[in-house]
Amino acid sequence: MTTPDVTEVADVDPVSPAPGSTAPDHRGSWVPNGAMIATRFMELRTRRGLMITLVLVTVGLPTVFMAVRLLLHALAPHTYGPAGGYTIYSALVSGVLYVFGFIVAATLGATAGSADLGEGMFRHLVVTGRSRLALYVARIPAGLAIIVPLVAAGFAVVCAVCVFAAPSTLSYQGVTVPVGLSSAGLQNWAADHADEVICNFGVRVGPSTPDASTLTAVIQSVPCGNGPGGGPAGARLGPQVQPQASPVTPAQIGEAAKLIARTDYAGYARQFLAPSTSLMVRSGLWLELEAVIGFVVGLGLGSLIGQRTVAVVLMIVLEVVLTPILSRARIPHLANLQRAVVGLATAHLTPGGLPVLGGGGGGPGGGGGNAGLLPESTTVAVSVIVAWLVGWTVLGAWRMMTRDA
Amino acid sequence: MAAPTVEPVVPPVRPGDSPWAVETHGLTKRFKDNVAVDGVDLRVPRGCAFGYLGPNGAGKTTLIRVLLGLTHADAGSMSLLGYPVPAHRDRALARIGAIVDEPRFHGHLTGRQNLQILAAAREPAARARIAPALDRVGIAHRGDDKVSKYSMGMRQRLGVAACLLGDPQLLILDEPMNGLDPAGMLDMREMILSLRGEGRTVVLSSHLLDEVERTCDAVAIVDRGKVIRQGPIADLLADSAFELQVDCSPSDRAQALLAGTRWQTGIHVEPGGLRIDLAPGTGRETVAEVNRLLVEGGVSVYRLQEVHASLESWFLEVTTRLGEHQ
Repeated sequence: MTTPDVTEVADVDPVSPAPGSTAPDHRGSWVPNGAMIATRFMELRTRRGLMITLVLVTVGLPTVFMAVRLLLHALAPHTYGPAGGYTIYSALVSGVLYVFGFIVAATLGATAGSADLGEGMFRHLVVTGRSRLALYVARIPAGLAIIVPLVAAGFAVVCAVCVFAAPSTLSYQGVTVPVGLSSAGLQNWAADHADEVICNFGVRVGPSTPDASTLTAVIQSVPCGNGPGGGPAGARLGPQVQPQASPVTPAQIGEAAKLIARTDYAGYARQFLAPSTSLMVRSGLWLELEAVIGFVVGLGLGSLIGQRTVAVVLMIVLEVVLTPILSRARIPHLANLQRAVVGLATAHLTPGGLPVLGGGGGGPGGGGGNAGLLPESTTVAVSVIVAWLVGWTVLGAWRMMTRDA
Repeated sequence: MAAPTVEPVVPPVRPGDSPWAVETHGLTKRFKDNVAVDGVDLRVPRGCAFGYLGPNGAGKTTLIRVLLGLTHADAGSMSLLGYPVPAHRDRALARIGAIVDEPRFHGHLTGRQNLQILAAAREPAARARIAPALDRVGIAHRGDDKVSKYSMGMRQRLGVAACLLGDPQLLILDEPMNGLDPAGMLDMREMILSLRGEGRTVVLSSHLLDEVERTCDAVAIVDRGKVIRQGPIADLLADSAFELQVDCSPSDRAQALLAGTRWQTGIHVEPGGLRIDLAPGTGRETVAEVNRLLVEGGVSVYRLQEVHASLESWFLEVTTRLGEHQ
């Protein structure tokens, strides 16, 4: 056994003022600084597998789908219709981007909420003395800075194709009608296609209809192939209206078609070949709202349970299984509980013109299409969404602040 | 048993500049029925390298975790650099660097990027310390490699670099030698000594007694959650017995000459000489007395060497593990 020389504590030279910064840096504050957000963004962005998945689902999926449709239409236009248009738009937005946007946002959130803990970095961060709440809050803008642009990019692809590759003609009431006509334009077109208009457009004639007797005579005179008496099958002729006695002239037929077109213009105008700018803006905001909810809830859940995989599975079950069921089922005594499901709340905020969750309602001319959903006021829906955002943030932050590191 | 204390090196100057880098009173941490930290009273003076020694499962890491706020204490009080914690933990931790357990980082990021994350959570000046810190721990050339490609030793070094980002007054290093090869251990030892030389306090938790003995000025011995001894290493070892090895001839005559002396507790004849067990507290003058007796008795003395108890043997003596070894 040998003993090296040891230094007695008393022999240690008196030290100069010990190093160490003494400048106040507000590290007890719950507000994260810009560098914390930026480095958190960097940490998430450099997760290659996660980012590839996010890009594939949010941007790649709609891009590939649209590219295939564009290609097929280019190769065989008579077999495959135009790639874009309202129908494709509504199906992709409410059927793909909405659901998958939520799931990928939740995946990103769960990763942000659990990665530090799982990879041993949380301990290093706590030892810096920085407020744990600030560490949590920094993840929110960092994650949103990733998921919001991704959802926007995927949505932009869908919008671009649906607008620029929309069909050039519209099938309205079974008649191929030019797109985007004004009221006068539609009337002029109707005059040129009087038989088709009179036979197919919806017609209601009653005592208050201007020149009702002439119109009745015209309708009855047009052979639509539906009986000896002629006239359109869908025409609604009031019993008190008697047709004029004199023969119908071609000019009268033209005027009748213009009248029908004028009265039907509102319905025609609601038929969008391409989604309107207003609808696209509202849809985009709605998709981003869904992504924000998915991220914040995933972040809170990931932080709460400290594990990504379980959190992601739970979020998928919520979005794909529970929400559709609870949004439409009528469970006695549990209606208010069902209304607390965030998916039902966002479904009630579906922009008019889009089909809603579960495939009900909507339609091109639709006004929200909430048929089949458990009723819920907009106020309640907004309140539920805010409660979920705040509640999960509080839960996740609380767990992070109280967890052993 | 009363623990010898060490005097603080730095007098208090202003709030937060306590003479004690670490001070605890009755600190206790329980995990259900298991008391991991049991009423620990610890005082670590500023400016020294302090070893926190104990066998596996003694509660070393738990105490560090409590000090750093990684887990809460069940009882007791503590202060770091004079700041009572947890009340002023943020102020205290701003001047502390620590690695606890195995240093783990985001594997998909480079060492430099990991440090950027940690620097962002510290003061703005911390960012400028990243490159010097990597350079100081000797991994500047691998700073842009992903941590997933680092060896255990490199991760240890990165952990120390992370500690240096805050220009700390106090470093708490939990088993920093783990995973290091001999050259790495030497580097780490020199680094700890240089940090101490800069006026920083280094608390070194380890079960590598030899490393602690070479590195630290003072130690605390912890066993089963309790601090059973603390103080300067020299003071602690002074109470231990030591040996005197004597190369002489003839050995049997030498043994006879020394047999009646009061300061020896045992004489063993060995090839080429004697090995004499000396009682605790025996001074250096005893060595000269042995030499005089032998020479005057006609014994040829070729060499005399004191062999003190090492920290390891002392550690085994005072901890309960000694009984288990026996």
